[in-house]
Amino acid sequence: MDLIRGRDRGTGAQIFTASMADIVFLLIVFFVLTYKVEVDKTQMDLPETWIRKKVPEKAAVISISPPDKGSTIRVSTGEEMALPVSTIEEVITFASTEVAKNPDREFILKADQGAPYARVDEVLDALKQSKVKYIFLLSEQLTADKK
Amino acid sequence: MNIQKKEIASEIFTGSMADISFLLIIYFMITSAFSATRGLDFALPEETDTPEIKQEDSIEVHVTPGGAIEVDKKGLPRDGLLPYVLEKLQQNPDKPVILRTDPDATYGDMISVFDLLRRANEEWTDEQGNPLYKDVNGDPLVEIKTISIPTQREIENIWNLLGMG
Repeated sequence: MDLIRGRDRGTGAQIFTASMADIVFLLIVFFVLTYKVEVDKTQMDLPETWIRKKVPEKAAVISISPPDKGSTIRVSTGEEMALPVSTIEEVITFASTEVAKNPDREFILKADQGAPYARVDEVLDALKQSKVKYIFLLSEQLTADKK
Repeated sequence: MNIQKKEIASEIFTGSMADISFLLIIYFMITSAFSATRGLDFALPEETDTPEIKQEDSIEVHVTPGGAIEVDKKGLPRDGLLPYVLEKLQQNPDKPVILRTDPDATYGDMISVFDLLRRANEEWTDEQGNPLYKDVNGDPLVEIKTISIPTQREIENIWNLLGMG
């Protein structure tokens, strides 16, 4: 009988969970601070560049989808989800409206690296016609081995 | 009669806090976008301050379909682009570089050459940022001052003006 009592006294294996709440809150704070809604969720291969500068937050976004997705142009004010446009005139209207609100408005061009340059040229021309001053060409980091 | 007061300990129930927290973490993890937030900056010229550029005053870089480059109408390997531009800018540091891309080329082809031109600043300075080269006036040469990317419409306008359209 003594033996059984001895077995009862054995310490139960426990996982210490008191600090879990702290860790979880830390993670929540991290995600809240870094939270950013992607206005254009089109999957694409961005071109790779060595020089990369941080693009301004809330800049207007113009995206050009990969050729296999029709090289569709989408526009977004940077706060709302990107909407497709069917003609280049719509890009001019969109950009002109944004520039009218803020003459120093920055634009991000997010285009697939396989997109035909003729399409990109149309967008650049539309932005020039709309008197846009600053464009950021979104890219991925080029690594030293590919340099 | 002595009535004993029953003391009810006040406490906030925190048992479900971990569940709520995990739910929030999952929400933020799924909706948070780790999107690319960097890229090449490019300032477009304002029409009022655009100087008239004569073709002979500039370095013309033409990106052909496939990504090969022609500089001043001569084929050149990519490694040779910056040394060529450096040589020209040493004679005239204000020479603009005109980057013209064939409409049949891809955006990636154009970006890689534009990135190469922008890398001049890194290539022409040492690790401390001191200039490695000087121009004909003895001034340090650390970057390409003007890189112009004309659109097809602008090129056609110039051709029309020159009566070549």
